[in-house]
Amino acid sequence: MTLKQGAKSELTFVGSLFALGLIVFWDTWRTELPEINLTISPTLFPYIVSILLMVLSTILFIQVLRGDSALPEGLEPGAKIEKSDLRTFCTVLASLFAYLLLIERAGFVIANTVTFIGISYSFGNKKMLKAAGIAVILSTIVYFSFTKFLKVALPSGIFRGLM
Amino acid sequence: MSSFNSLLEGFAGALTLSNLMFGLLGTFLGTLVGVLPGIGPALAIALLLPITYTVSPSSALIMFAAIYYGAMYGGSTTSILLNTPGESGSVITALEGNKMARNGRAGPALATAAIGSFVAGTIATLILAFTAPTIADWAIQVGSAEYVALMLVAFSTVSSLLGSSQIRGFISLSVGLVLGLVGADLQSGLSRLTFGNDAALEGIETVIVIVSIFALGEALYIASRFRDTGWKIIPMKGRALMSRNDLKRSWKPWLRGTAIGFPLGIIPAGGSEVPTFISYSVEKSLSKNKDEFGHGAIEGVAGPEAANNANAAGALVPLLALGLPTSATAAVILVAFQTYQIQPGPLLFTTNPDLIWTLIASLFIGNTLLLILNLPLVRFWIQLLKIPRTYLFAGIVSFAMLGAYALNTSTFDLTVAIAIGIVGFLFRRYGMPITPLILGLILGPNLELQFRRALQISAGDYGTLVASPLSKILYLVLFLVIIGPTVARLRRKMKAKKAIIS
Repeated sequence: MTLKQGAKSELTFVGSLFALGLIVFWDTWRTELPEINLTISPTLFPYIVSILLMVLSTILFIQVLRGDSALPEGLEPGAKIEKSDLRTFCTVLASLFAYLLLIERAGFVIANTVTFIGISYSFGNKKMLKAAGIAVILSTIVYFSFTKFLKVALPSGIFRGLM
Repeated sequence: MSSFNSLLEGFAGALTLSNLMFGLLGTFLGTLVGVLPGIGPALAIALLLPITYTVSPSSALIMFAAIYYGAMYGGSTTSILLNTPGESGSVITALEGNKMARNGRAGPALATAAIGSFVAGTIATLILAFTAPTIADWAIQVGSAEYVALMLVAFSTVSSLLGSSQIRGFISLSVGLVLGLVGADLQSGLSRLTFGNDAALEGIETVIVIVSIFALGEALYIASRFRDTGWKIIPMKGRALMSRNDLKRSWKPWLRGTAIGFPLGIIPAGGSEVPTFISYSVEKSLSKNKDEFGHGAIEGVAGPEAANNANAAGALVPLLALGLPTSATAAVILVAFQTYQIQPGPLLFTTNPDLIWTLIASLFIGNTLLLILNLPLVRFWIQLLKIPRTYLFAGIVSFAMLGAYALNTSTFDLTVAIAIGIVGFLFRRYGMPITPLILGLILGPNLELQFRRALQISAGDYGTLVASPLSKILYLVLFLVIIGPTVARLRRKMKAKKAIIS
């Protein structure tokens, strides 16, 4: 049986949805119930949802196998489905993780600057110096307007004492 | 009559300086997010939620409602000039509107869209003001069992009508329900799906899911798939004005669009795609200039734009009167109410009459502000479209991360945000609609609560769920909505087979 382009990766995706249902089922099954007398057990809903998810993903799995593969958002029916650019995807993801790792260690201004430059680069920006300039100015403005005007504390990080 | 008096009092409340300022800010932000492709009103409101903790509930809700209305106006500008719909309700507008712009008629297209939105928005808000209290009065008698049925109907219509296939809609819904389960169960204290993580006990923050699934998911998706597809703005000649003939061709579609959009907003039809599409088909079949359709017929812009705005007002009826959101944006507004410990629903009109009437009055004011903001100032918004996409997305993503972090100043939330962002990417890549997930996440816990309440009252007798006539009708509707698309597909298949045989 030959599969349409992109169907293999879709099967993996649908399979992982089934796995999600299975995890919910397993986690519900292994929990010990508190000894309160409740009309409806707190495990009933998780059971229903997990079974629903497993049944539905099985049906979709079969549909995809039979050739009904998904239409990515923003494409017209019948358009050629191209592969995602994995490198760019990873650059975006790395920029997001940079924020997570830097915000409490290096502070908001640095984390925000790095993420801004990273995302701008992954969208094809070649003028890195200009991007860096905009990022620093924007981050500083946001930092001060949040901490001074909105009274939302943001980590000052390595600039502690300076800001 | 009492509605009329309350509405007048609402105007008194809405016309204070600070409320007007928040309304103006909201219309501005709403038009902005509507114009810019890639951000919608749901994301904008979710991002602003943490910031508004210090603001009074009425000011914040006025701003959110203005964003909600404003995005509809801004979205049509982008559809007409860019052929990239700024938000989902403007997809149909792009069909004829973009063609008109290409023929050098961008001005009339923008004018009929904005004025049509104003006319529809005003009429629909007026109907909202008089129907919502009546529905709320009636809904006070609606018990938990009926609520369960209502929510199930809302779930199934939204899942069935959005996106390419029904099954994908329901899977999206189920994933949302799973996310809603995470955390300590309110009644028993049992921790569910937390896997020993203390930070997860309070559940997954709705705001973080919305922000990351829209902003981060969209950025991941666009960057890795459509990075090189740039935008091409069609230049606008002259001013955004209509000739007498344009007006003659527009006013009927405006009114018909309103008549189609409003009722479809009240029933959970899954957002503005369906009404705008119906309005377009109606205008096409009624028009004397059928041959113009597909080449820039003004009726094809006027009708759907009016339907879009009337639909948005209609969706506020179940939100305010029943506490039941039927679109992603309405769901976020529900969360906004809840952050102020206000529960929208039948009791809202008796417990918080000032708030609700001020809000409704501010919708009229906002609508007028939007007309001014969008017609004479349309060139300003066009300039905004010239912001390079690389900076635009960099700004959106860093703001989304800030929003996710600032909510609880916790890095756990950021981890959740990145994970949900990846889910958002996968959903877009594999054609799964996102709104059902949002509804499942927000309404799932509510559904469970009402379900348990109903069964506690009946001492465990499941018969209570279908006891009342209303429940019976709702379950019949539910059944039809679920099997409808399957029956339609089978019929099409049979027809195709017959055609092959003969």
